[in-house]
Amino acid sequence: MLHGYGSTILDGAWLTLSLALTSMALAITLGLLGAAFRLSPLKWLALLGEGYATVIRGIPDLVLILLIFYGGQDIVNRVAPLLGHSQYIDINPFIAGVGTMGFIFGAYLSETFRGAFMAIPKGQAEAGAAYGMGRLQVFFRILVPQMIRFAIPGFTNNWLVLTKATALISVVGLQDMMFKAKNAADATREPFTFFLAVAALYLLLTSVSLLALRLLERRYSVGARLADI
Amino acid sequence: MNKIALLGALALSVASSFSHASQDSLRIGIEAAYPPFAFKTPDGAISGFDYDIGQALCAEMQVKCQWVEQEFDGLIPSLKVRKVDAVLSSMSITEDRLKSVDFSKKYYHTPGKLAMKEGTQINDPLVDLKGKKVGVQRASTYDRYASDKFEKAGIEVVRYASQNEAFLDLASGRLDATLADVVNIDEGFIKTDTGKGFALVGPDFNDPQYFGRGAGIAVRKGDEANAARISAAIDAIRSNGKYQEVQAKYFDYDIYGQ
Repeated sequence: MLHGYGSTILDGAWLTLSLALTSMALAITLGLLGAAFRLSPLKWLALLGEGYATVIRGIPDLVLILLIFYGGQDIVNRVAPLLGHSQYIDINPFIAGVGTMGFIFGAYLSETFRGAFMAIPKGQAEAGAAYGMGRLQVFFRILVPQMIRFAIPGFTNNWLVLTKATALISVVGLQDMMFKAKNAADATREPFTFFLAVAALYLLLTSVSLLALRLLERRYSVGARLADI
Repeated sequence: MNKIALLGALALSVASSFSHASQDSLRIGIEAAYPPFAFKTPDGAISGFDYDIGQALCAEMQVKCQWVEQEFDGLIPSLKVRKVDAVLSSMSITEDRLKSVDFSKKYYHTPGKLAMKEGTQINDPLVDLKGKKVGVQRASTYDRYASDKFEKAGIEVVRYASQNEAFLDLASGRLDATLADVVNIDEGFIKTDTGKGFALVGPDFNDPQYFGRGAGIAVRKGDEANAARISAAIDAIRSNGKYQEVQAKYFDYDIYGQ
């Protein structure tokens, strides 16, 4: 298949998928933190959350990837000797890639989550408090499950953009499916064959996740009357 | 003090692998997207002239090559932040690059050549091409050379936006010759269907004033130790025949130049 380059492109597709999923896990964590910060009554926490969302969303992904990967390495190079490590410490490109993508999309998700939290009627949290739940209990038992329902449409958007943005990550030497396709296109001088093949793979990946997220949305809408939303 | 140590341990745990910068391995950055110099085979391995030369150089220096694949734009940044120790990726030695990295001596310098109808005899291009039409890519080094030398000698220079257009016009008979990089002509024209019946003719064009200094192996600025041992290894594989062996795998002409 594909002049023999098919299996290496599938390897790349697997890397793309694991990169996207791991980055999304990190992005969800950072997004929840960011949203919680922005909604916090503490002024400095709210400012911190706002700064994160504003700065990261305002810089192109590619610039951030290069800054974090090469700039981060430069910082490690400078700091390690001060801590008594004479050896060169290499930042693994996968970890750097996940860190960068997670950091970027955490900023976008924090806004999605913030909007979703704000869509929950105030009385819900007050009722939780009236039952004697602590702040964290109210957050995880009352707010998060309802927030997910409101967040899923925005979340779906972010997931699709993140999946496609992984194609940028090959600049740090990660061999995702776009990188493998480019290699094959250069070696065989048949660019369209391979770019069409990865286009189909991206479309497959995004279509399957759209279906999965639709099921999830249905699951989290159980008990909610559509007319209320 | 404890806090700093803790912070350090945290930073170190983020870094997943320790690479021991020992004497016996050399991390080389390469972009595998420039056949036949560097490309990927279907099983995902790097192959090509650059790769084979690197292997020969490492064998000569008795070090282990560790190849690190990067996009071309990422090669110099990787070198600067010590992700790699050298860049061996058909990188031309230019004044701009010399500001941020150092280079070994060149390991190849493909000359310019004329492509013409098979069987054409050209001894002195400035005499033999008088009155003929020669195509070049606009604003290329070949354009600069042709504008300076060819036009004065009464040769008509035709400029094209891309070298491929010059190839097409040569094939259709609108041009008598085109002047371009020898590998570009060979891979992009003569070995293709359009290039049937055409050949590389005449002498090499390699005036350094126009055509630069060739491709070298980049090392970090001030890393004289690596630059010197790589340059010495290039000399060694040139004289023991290893270089010629690798070259014969990919090219049927000399690409080292003078």
